[in-house]
Amino acid sequence: MTIEKILLGFSPKAENILPALKKVNAGFGYIDEEKAEKIAAYFSVPISQLYETATFYDLINTKKQPALTIKVCFSTHCALKDAKKIIVEIENVLHVKLGDENNPKFRLGKMSCVGRCGEGPVVMVNNKVYERVTVVMVRGMLEEYL
Amino acid sequence: MENTKILTINWGKINPLKIGDYLAVGGYLALKKFVSEMKPDEAIEEIVASKLSGRGGAGYATGEKLKMVAESESHEKYFICNLDESEPGTYKDRMIADNNPQLLLEGIIIAALSIGAHKAYIYINGNYEKQKETLETARAQAHKKNFLGAGILGSAYDLDVEIFSGAGAYICGEETALINSIEGKRGEPRLRPPFPTEAGLFGKPTAVNNAETIANIPWIILNGGKKYAKIGASCSPGMKLYILGGSVKKPGVVEAPTGVTIRELVDDFGGGVTPGRDFWFAQIGGASGRLVLEKELDMPLTFSRDCQIPLGSGSILVVDKMANISDLILSWTEFFRRESCGKCVPCREGTFRLHEIALRLQDGEISERDKVAIKDILWTLESTTFCPLGRFAATAMRDAVEKLNLLDK
Repeated sequence: MTIEKILLGFSPKAENILPALKKVNAGFGYIDEEKAEKIAAYFSVPISQLYETATFYDLINTKKQPALTIKVCFSTHCALKDAKKIIVEIENVLHVKLGDENNPKFRLGKMSCVGRCGEGPVVMVNNKVYERVTVVMVRGMLEEYL
Repeated sequence: MENTKILTINWGKINPLKIGDYLAVGGYLALKKFVSEMKPDEAIEEIVASKLSGRGGAGYATGEKLKMVAESESHEKYFICNLDESEPGTYKDRMIADNNPQLLLEGIIIAALSIGAHKAYIYINGNYEKQKETLETARAQAHKKNFLGAGILGSAYDLDVEIFSGAGAYICGEETALINSIEGKRGEPRLRPPFPTEAGLFGKPTAVNNAETIANIPWIILNGGKKYAKIGASCSPGMKLYILGGSVKKPGVVEAPTGVTIRELVDDFGGGVTPGRDFWFAQIGGASGRLVLEKELDMPLTFSRDCQIPLGSGSILVVDKMANISDLILSWTEFFRRESCGKCVPCREGTFRLHEIALRLQDGEISERDKVAIKDILWTLESTTFCPLGRFAATAMRDAVEKLNLLDK
């Protein structure tokens, strides 16, 4: 799938900018400058405006992502339910630090509420959501990806 | 009246992916009534009479909002259903989409037609992928039955519903930020006025309503606004979804009238506090909500401006005495720091500094200087930010300082 093919699936209207960004992001993992320029040209908006939009949203990346991205929900309900212990366990299993953006293989971060508060603590691994995560579960959950 | 159920009555009883199930329990009768017996302004009058108010948290009178857009002379208007739900602890709108998407669609169709819109959008949280699929299925089925599209049920009404998926930004629940987001821009709030009802999406009059609000509309059309106005608290009547969470025996979404007290919700609906735990405080309305102590639990929850505890999104988080308060404070401050859009300095900087102090509080190193700074920052967030997000960021922290005596330790 080329970026041109993805873009041709959208009519060049403003309301399709965000859906197109999401689709390009899903196809390539992130939106670099070259792709941002192509999208801006397609929708006839300045590259500055397009990049403003692309950098604003959590679900759109403007940098290359590592193979494994883990996000732990730390919003109210999950924070009160062991989210911190789960983060420590993930750090120990993968030998990563929370928030370290220089690790080429793994990235561990916190995320905002995804509306599964009844099923917390919630962890997202490469966009797959795990519910009712416990410290004991962490290793098994991550082994699928290693 | 106490046993009336409007929103959840068919949850678990009907298959959300089969429109036939919804029709069998009286679905789309309200739309049929609207199309065959009512004029658009009569429908709006019913909604005005119902005194239905916005369930997203602000509590603005829904009927008035629809009226403003309906009365505008522009022939291009939009209706937007706000399903961007991202307040921590809140998942009621997701449950509506999961359990009864057709009810939501019916409400959207009636509201959109009554204001004279030919296009409606559902702005759905980017993380709600499954719900987006459910709604797409529901929309396709409604289209097939001619509840949507051109010449709805043989009338001259036309309506297209588009499902627009967000991309992960709390601020996009704010209506002007949401509009910017659909327009392909950063989800930053706009200066008001002009209000969206005058100049909203693509500069056209736009009504933005929360999903739960809209789900009440079919009932109001069928049973009359006056009857709805008799349910619950007289200042902001109706049924409301409450989300019980934290140290409560039976967590989950429950439907109860407005005016219910927090104690009733926790004890009668939630089965009480988790056994073995002692109630400390409750947070009402998500991370941006106020804290409530034991002695305040008998206060009725309403959307009225006089209500000391704003109902907000309807989330009730019960916190017991074993909870680590510094984790909760870190959670609040981190959330608002991450979600502050960056447009205005007081919010961008204020949320950042508050989070820094929360980190020091975690390490137990909060200094006298921090204690003074907290008060300055809270005042700044409450009084000077561009949109309500700054005020939200300060609410819980202010209560932690004043009600839980956070700084006295």
